[in-house]
Amino acid sequence: MRKLIAALLARVRAYLPPQFKVLHQLFLLRVVDLEALSIEADIPRFLGQFGGVLIMLSLIHSVAVYWYIVAYPYRLEHYLISTTMLVAGLITVVSWDSIFPDRRDIMVLAPLPIRPGMILGTKLAASASLLGIALLALNTAPGLLGPFLLGQLHPSIFGVFQVLAAYWFAMIGAILFLYCSVLTIQGLAALILPCRAFLLLSGALQLIAFGGFISVYFLEPNLGTLPELLAPQNHQILAVSPQFWFLALLNQINGSLPPELAWLAHRAWMALGIVISGAMASMTLSYLRTMKATLEAPDLLPGTSGIHGLPRIGSSLRVAIAAFAFRSLSRSRQHRVVYAFFMAIVAAIAVTCLRRELYAHAPEPLPTSFLIASFLMMTLAVVGLRAVFSLPISLNANWMLRTTQLTPTRKYIDATRVTLLVFSVLPMMVMAVLLSLNYRPWLHVFQHLGILAIFGYLLIELAMINFDKVPFTCSYLPGKSNIQTVFWGAVFAWTMLTLLAGAFELDAIGSAKTYSTVIGLMLAALIALGTFNRFRARDAVLYFEDLPPELVIRLGLMYIPPDPSSSPKVLEQQKSEAE
Amino acid sequence: MLQLRRVTKHFAGIPAVDDVTFSARPGEVTGYLGPNGSGKSTTMKMITGLIEMTSGRILFDGKLIDDDIIAYKRRMGYVPEEPYLYNHLSGAEYLTMVADLRGIPMRQASKRIDGLLRLLSLYEDRHAAISGYSKGMRQKVLIAAALMHNPDLVLLDEPFSGLDVGSALVLRSLITELAARGKVVLFSSHELDTVERISDRVVILHRGKLVADDSISRLRSLMQLPTLEAIFSQLAVEQDTASMARTIADLIDA
Repeated sequence: MRKLIAALLARVRAYLPPQFKVLHQLFLLRVVDLEALSIEADIPRFLGQFGGVLIMLSLIHSVAVYWYIVAYPYRLEHYLISTTMLVAGLITVVSWDSIFPDRRDIMVLAPLPIRPGMILGTKLAASASLLGIALLALNTAPGLLGPFLLGQLHPSIFGVFQVLAAYWFAMIGAILFLYCSVLTIQGLAALILPCRAFLLLSGALQLIAFGGFISVYFLEPNLGTLPELLAPQNHQILAVSPQFWFLALLNQINGSLPPELAWLAHRAWMALGIVISGAMASMTLSYLRTMKATLEAPDLLPGTSGIHGLPRIGSSLRVAIAAFAFRSLSRSRQHRVVYAFFMAIVAAIAVTCLRRELYAHAPEPLPTSFLIASFLMMTLAVVGLRAVFSLPISLNANWMLRTTQLTPTRKYIDATRVTLLVFSVLPMMVMAVLLSLNYRPWLHVFQHLGILAIFGYLLIELAMINFDKVPFTCSYLPGKSNIQTVFWGAVFAWTMLTLLAGAFELDAIGSAKTYSTVIGLMLAALIALGTFNRFRARDAVLYFEDLPPELVIRLGLMYIPPDPSSSPKVLEQQKSEAE
Repeated sequence: MLQLRRVTKHFAGIPAVDDVTFSARPGEVTGYLGPNGSGKSTTMKMITGLIEMTSGRILFDGKLIDDDIIAYKRRMGYVPEEPYLYNHLSGAEYLTMVADLRGIPMRQASKRIDGLLRLLSLYEDRHAAISGYSKGMRQKVLIAAALMHNPDLVLLDEPFSGLDVGSALVLRSLITELAARGKVVLFSSHELDTVERISDRVVILHRGKLVADDSISRLRSLMQLPTLEAIFSQLAVEQDTASMARTIADLIDA
């Protein structure tokens, strides 16, 4: 099978122009912003593991499809469309600027005899390849099983094929809609705005899109039955939700859409037409302009004084580390995007809580859902910041931190701990206070906030275990860690823990004795962990990563004959001679 | 005084610096010369503590630098060969960060940073991101960061790289002025003319080995050669440069 696919790909590649092949391969490796990853990272392995997570999700989906697709077709189809759109949205955000050639591209490619259309085409093809891989990884199992089960109920003899075609057309349409929408917005922004304003707006749009995709996924109402879809009070939501448009499109093609919902499918067709033509037009018009503007942009742009008044949070070392972390996070697009992933979920949870608070007519008792939500927000904030701290900003500039290490490592570790506290636990505590204003009695609210604060500090101490580093100076090595185990393990562990903690805490808050015990245990754990970390830090050596030699990417332009001395036969012969 | 005693560094078994011994004295400018790949920057990195020696000893004021590396780093200023900086910071932010890491009191740091930025003609662009700085501007930021804390030992690895003529002349005078104020100055450069003008003594490295360590005037008289360039060519340049140039021209002309 593998050989067959390779042979097919080779046959397809043979028909492609050589420039296309080379540029496509080059841009495919750069679609994802790899600067966020370590230079030592095993990129193909990382992408393979990412695909593995999607395939795992796909298998879980197929189990759900097997049990429920016949009973709840709309609910499951909507869920699959939403999840596919979310994954496509995340990929679109991560590869946000990859469609436009950057300065390096232009400096290298502009002197060569390559038409701008070829660059645009190969960039689009590279993005499409990644989206296609994600689509296949996520949908192969449910996308074959679901149509097979539903197709058997179909009156037509070709029912399975019709449902299959409908499923894949709707999924591809949903991804295309999302991707072309982003391209249209980017193209228009590039066309209208000056280069500098475009770059500024593009960064903001990227974050907004990220938050938007995740918020919509989590906050969208669950309308999974035909009566719910047909209910007049839900029409407004259906009208503005693309997931439901493509749900209707899927069912229109497979022939099971009630006529009352035909207007939704019509919206999907309209939307596809608009965004595809919009993307083509705006990209064609803006591409040349962007290339020229990028080339002509001045190297040195006058800056403003920025934020100088960062709060003094202790020693000059603490200030230096905190300011460095704040500036790195706020100015590096790669780091912002990774952090935004966590913060978007926090924002979605916060909005859900806020909605409940706004719609309440009178103060309410503290609900378990709020306790769980606040634990989750705290966890995501700390874990997100700790994760982003592990992404380097400029490994080759680390020499400065190494030559200026004038205080013991434990002080650096302490500064990192304080930075984590200031930028994760404190904002979450403020948010928790604001979100709990409608809950009574106040005593219970204060009791919960007390537990939450200790929980946050505990998380920080956990995050600091073996972290003998300055934020943003060392690499996380995707591809070298087992992303499968880490991802699923973390999801399971933290979900169980927060559910248990939330349910247990409500009982504890009602009883002074139990509450004191809980607080006592948490404080004991905090002191133990803190003491362990501080004890370890006494002998720790601050770790900085050096820049390893750059990897050479082979584009297959030259035939490099194999080294005869490294052939298996010769090696075996040498081995036997040595023995 | 900075002393290197039989310092050796091997990379994967290959000697980059081989049994090098020399001293740099306070009040003197010591030029450190050698062709590309001769081990100059490796030696500089070992002196700063950025990389470890395979063997040998480095002493500053009679004490092994590893005995109290923090105290040593307090007294050292270093300009690396490549102007690698945190590009997302502005020039002013970078220098403030260095000052904070070095524990320089805020008021004093602010005064020195402003002064250095003005004198090095960076003041107008102090809030612009370093990513937009030219090579010369980056070099000036490095020089400011290296000197801000008034170090006793100044290590300059290709400090003139990218500097315009005016700035290079200022730096040349600054190096001699720093030495005149009793500091130990060790600097490497490929600009032999500059080295000849400002150095009291030179150390020449070739293929990782020390081939000369003396005052320029003594080297001139010993080798009976008129200039440092001639001395350097004899000690460290193996090829016939004119013949090589002809070969290159022939190759591309063929």
